[in-house]
Amino acid sequence: MGECAWTARGCAAAALVLAGFATASGQSLTLGVGAPVTSLDPHYHQLSPNTAVAEMVFGALTQTDAKARIIPDLAESWRAIDETTWEFRLRRGVRFHNGSDFTAEDVAFTLERVPNVPNSPSSYAIYTRPIREVQILDPYTIRFRTAAPYPLMPRDIAQVKMLDRQTHAQATTEQFNAGIMAIGTGPFRVSSHRNGERIEFERFDGYYGTQPHWQRATLRMITNDAARTAALLAGDVDIIDQVPTSDLAKLRTDQRLSVAEVTGLRIIFLSFDHSRVEATPFVTDNDGKPISPNPLKDPRVRRALSLAIDRAAITERIMEGSAIPSAQFLPESGFGYVPTLNPAKADPEAARRLLAEAGFLQGFRITLHGPNDRYPNDSRIIQAVGQMWTRIGVRTTIEAQPWATFISRAARQDLSSFLIGWGTSGEGTNPLRNLVATFDRDKGYGASNRGRYSNPRVDALTDAAMREIDDTKREAIIREATIIAMDDTAIAPLHIQRNAWAMRRGLALDARVDELTRAQDVTPTGPAR
Amino acid sequence: MSAVLRPSAPPQVETPLRRFASQFAESRLALVGLVVFVAIVLAALLAPWLAPQNPYDLAQLDIMDGRLPPGSVGASGMVHWLGTDDQGRDMLSGILYGLRISLMVGAGSALVAALVGASLGMLAAYAGGRTDTLIMRLVDLQLSFPAILAALMILAFLGKGILNVVIALVVVEWAYYARTVRGSALVERRREYIEAAQCLALPTGRIIFRHLLPNVLPPLIVVGTMQVARAIALEATLSFLGLGVPITEPSLGLLIANGYEYMLSGKYWISFYPGIALLLTIVSINLVGDQLRDVINPRLQK
Repeated sequence: MGECAWTARGCAAAALVLAGFATASGQSLTLGVGAPVTSLDPHYHQLSPNTAVAEMVFGALTQTDAKARIIPDLAESWRAIDETTWEFRLRRGVRFHNGSDFTAEDVAFTLERVPNVPNSPSSYAIYTRPIREVQILDPYTIRFRTAAPYPLMPRDIAQVKMLDRQTHAQATTEQFNAGIMAIGTGPFRVSSHRNGERIEFERFDGYYGTQPHWQRATLRMITNDAARTAALLAGDVDIIDQVPTSDLAKLRTDQRLSVAEVTGLRIIFLSFDHSRVEATPFVTDNDGKPISPNPLKDPRVRRALSLAIDRAAITERIMEGSAIPSAQFLPESGFGYVPTLNPAKADPEAARRLLAEAGFLQGFRITLHGPNDRYPNDSRIIQAVGQMWTRIGVRTTIEAQPWATFISRAARQDLSSFLIGWGTSGEGTNPLRNLVATFDRDKGYGASNRGRYSNPRVDALTDAAMREIDDTKREAIIREATIIAMDDTAIAPLHIQRNAWAMRRGLALDARVDELTRAQDVTPTGPAR
Repeated sequence: MSAVLRPSAPPQVETPLRRFASQFAESRLALVGLVVFVAIVLAALLAPWLAPQNPYDLAQLDIMDGRLPPGSVGASGMVHWLGTDDQGRDMLSGILYGLRISLMVGAGSALVAALVGASLGMLAAYAGGRTDTLIMRLVDLQLSFPAILAALMILAFLGKGILNVVIALVVVEWAYYARTVRGSALVERRREYIEAAQCLALPTGRIIFRHLLPNVLPPLIVVGTMQVARAIALEATLSFLGLGVPITEPSLGLLIANGYEYMLSGKYWISFYPGIALLLTIVSINLVGDQLRDVINPRLQK
């Protein structure tokens, strides 16, 4: 003490510098994300930004690693007892943020809650419906009986975030959004939430797994691409996702930054209105009169629209190389990828012939909708598609809207054709069940089949794949269903995105194929200077 | 500074119009503004003949021509003097057509707002009492609300489209006209000629439109010019924010917004040239408007 007395000021200054250093660079992380989080209720709305936040706050029985492989989370191990029974052994000593214990009771409670979340725009029930009976053997062992063989159980259950029976018995989506009920077992707890703007997190020191490096994390939603890049360059945020393709080349060469990239699992596609037999609202003849029956029900019309699209031009010019053209749901690494299904070269002549065959020699008019703040270059892509369609005689009007407006219209089947994306799990039954299986609330199928495509053969094969325990056979069934759906142009796939993040130098990111941006995946590289 | 008497000029009959013209021409800057403005209006009117491409026809665009720098030759052999945007839209054509929309929206909304505002202002001044209070409180309410916010809310409610932008601009601008007109109408109303007209028992409508209106017109014209510039700027802002015109029919504001994301990667021309066009338009209108105010306002008369 005495020795330090004469340099008290110096000591204090040094301490201040150290403290400042620790809070400024060592402990807090600000993430700038491009897509807004719509809810903190983990069972409300299946959407990647929501899942990313849910994985920071909550836990599930299993989880996927950066390459979409299944690894344990709240369950230590699992096995199939017989064809229709799965047994999960839970991790012991796991606590929720409020100190409550995590046990098998909570798993049972969660499974009861999932199908009963009111007004869910894209329900998680698809993952819990196959479970017919839950059997609690002891507080840390639980068995699920399913009506049919359910090979996807360990993968699907990763989507179901676990809640606490004591805490969440009466919890509403609004209470989650207010942050009061956003209590999970994950590495972070929510300290504040301003809807559509920012979420602040604090590290949960009782987390059972590897502690994240960051004491505090802030998630800022910056939907404007240029603003997000500018925020990174200005140092307002430490890392951004959905790096604008127009900036990628420049950011790669910037000494102050580093970029992480990986080919993702998100398919960008066009969806058509299959729900109306009579006229569809945004297709008219060249005089502006409705056309009945709905031309989009004719597979030749859909194929013509798909054939008109020059996918390579879009990925090269609009996406600037950060996407690969696609003719199916999955990238090459996916389970159920069809090697023979390659994106056709654009053929306007063939497209015109198909239209003429379908009785539209003079073409027709259509309005193509899409979001303008959700996917990289979303509004530019639909304009480019508009050019290509107009060239085959389908005069196209483009309407790009903010995601919130757009998705509520798409979910109500208000639109005739629209661009949308889907982050698959990397396993073929996921897009089959969600995007092209007949919409069925009870089965939980077709949850995001917003065009309401319906084909009994695809449905039957999807069901068969869902029952097949043998992986080789299952993959063959998935391929067959995929080929049928694609031959029928149930949807028109455009491309699969490459995911890109940019961050300040000195940070490293475990880039995820599922494009989730989570604070626990960011680590500092070496000592900060 | 400039000589009123020019010895070489033949003696001219001084009509009010000529006096007005010579007074206006006293400012070189205003003349330049007028010339630029006339040139811009002509360019906008003649856009379909001047523009090398119809930028609103999707079939004429090709994304393979996207983001070409100024002076490049596109796949169809067309020279893009000001470059192209991300959709392969020729910037020169885009600007010419964009000017049409900007001027149309600016002039259209200013005209309708002037009609609405002037009528209400006149009514307030002439009727007085409760009518006056009601209208002027409405004006206060409108003016206390940020114009851009009000316009955003109206567009969020009405949806996109040029007509809706005009409606939104009228709603946020009528109050300026109403206030100006009421102010000068109040002064004029107490003048003898109005009293005389009233003594002759002329119908109220006739007094308002034949006697009062012509005398409150000068300040109205000045406010009108300024408001046209303001309306153009507001429309550009709304389009920039993605709430104005459809994305396939860009106005100047939307053209700027399209290029904004490419600024960091050095493709300046997509935003820069439409920006210059917008700047020239607004500055020239304001220069003309400023000089109009000086010429028309009797209190600034030399």
